[in-house]
Amino acid sequence: MDFNVVISYIPTYVDAFLLTVKIGWIGIAFSLVIGILSAFIMHFKIPVLSQIVAVYIELFRNTPLLVQLFFIYFGLPKIGIVISAGTCGAVGLGLLGGSYMAEVFRSGLEGVSISQTESSLALGFSKTQMFIYVILPQAFSKSVPGIVANVIFLLKETSVFSAISLMDLMFRAKDLIGLYYNTTEALFLLVIFYVIMLLPVSFLGSVIEKKVVSING
Amino acid sequence: MKKNLIKNIKAKKIITGALALVLGASMLGACGKSDAANGENGAQKLKANGKVYRTLDEIKKSGTINIGVFSDKNPFGYVDENGDYQGYDVYLANRIGKDLGVEINYVSTEAANRVEYLESGKVDIVLANFTVTDERAQKVDFALPYMNVALGVVSHKDKVIKDIEKVSSDEQVIVISGTTAETFLEKNYPDIKLQKFDTYAAAKTSFENGTGIAWANDNTEVIAFAKENEGYEVGIPSLGSQDTIAPAVSKGNESLLKWLNDELVTLGKEKFFHADYEKTLIDTYGADYEDTLVVEQGDNK
Repeated sequence: MDFNVVISYIPTYVDAFLLTVKIGWIGIAFSLVIGILSAFIMHFKIPVLSQIVAVYIELFRNTPLLVQLFFIYFGLPKIGIVISAGTCGAVGLGLLGGSYMAEVFRSGLEGVSISQTESSLALGFSKTQMFIYVILPQAFSKSVPGIVANVIFLLKETSVFSAISLMDLMFRAKDLIGLYYNTTEALFLLVIFYVIMLLPVSFLGSVIEKKVVSING
Repeated sequence: MKKNLIKNIKAKKIITGALALVLGASMLGACGKSDAANGENGAQKLKANGKVYRTLDEIKKSGTINIGVFSDKNPFGYVDENGDYQGYDVYLANRIGKDLGVEINYVSTEAANRVEYLESGKVDIVLANFTVTDERAQKVDFALPYMNVALGVVSHKDKVIKDIEKVSSDEQVIVISGTTAETFLEKNYPDIKLQKFDTYAAAKTSFENGTGIAWANDNTEVIAFAKENEGYEVGIPSLGSQDTIAPAVSKGNESLLKWLNDELVTLGKEKFFHADYEKTLIDTYGADYEDTLVVEQGDNK
């Protein structure tokens, strides 16, 4: 392996890294919003909306991100909706992640034991108070491990962005290999940058998980 | 107790992470070193510690040859409605299989992984409209050429790009990753913003959707595109140097290379590639391009 080549590649990898992280986290933020809203709709069984959400969740959980991106990026322009590659990546990731996050939040809400509801009603809480002060905090802490796992999963899913011409880490590596054929160096940096991106997340995630477990007791 | 647990887990995580990194790095380092040690007489050394390619005899013995072709580049290499590989490159591939007396296993390649497929021995020959360049020739061995090519740029009819210098900084030119068009523009026009795709199909669809003002590629490809689709014009029919397209084999695979070169000379005598052109390309390009595109060995030079 030629370390001069490795060093000369680093700046372009940093660009790709920043783009991957940016679009990745915007997508994750989207997915959290979509996930929470969908979980509430499912939990309160809001008519019509909850059916729509159920279809959405099944559709996006059972199709690959690549297919979803193709649809958004190549399909929608045919009916006049043109979205930039960056937006498309974030929206695609948000929609895919939203369906996973929704399931995590929903199972968190359902995981709060029935005795909690009964006790708070017995103590004279109103339904709203019960939801905000009793159910929600417990549901959230139960959801944390799932959320962390999904965040890592979504950051790794960014590697299919090359299909829509986004210069993410994966595409940067493939492109450099195609341009200069230094396969070893390009792949070495690819591994390093993915680790740099994901190690802090999984580390922080496990710390938060432990904290939450100790709260739950 | 709990604090200790967290600390332990922290330490474990850091150690495993570091270990993984070191392991990965050393593995890659090891590959690199053996490559470097192989140096000039790499072919022989590679054979000693497990060469990646198969010799002519091994291919014949196995009864199958793996040939890397495009599956989405009409009319050179594509899959037809019956699921069969067709095109100018495939016509040659079929003949090679017949003359070798072996079955052909077509392997669909993308532009950017053609070199890798040969370096890792996943295919025996690449016949995927592979332009001969110096950089590529350092990594793979090219046989004699069978086609001429230059770069070309196609754009939308309502805004034809006739001069590549006139592309403004907020406009994007579509290229396919790993093609000569990409290398050429990266090197000579670093200020032009490139929108890169990894397959022909994706680049085509995106260009049709109007996300780029122009598409730079082999001129054969852009001419074909403009002829087959309404509303496009090849503003720049020839850009950069005139190059040739040739079959490629893994570096050092001399027996197969020699056989291919002999084969190409034999085929030249019977004007094989003119027949190939008339069979596969004439519908797209008409008769005018036949002599500019086709290269027959023994013909010239």
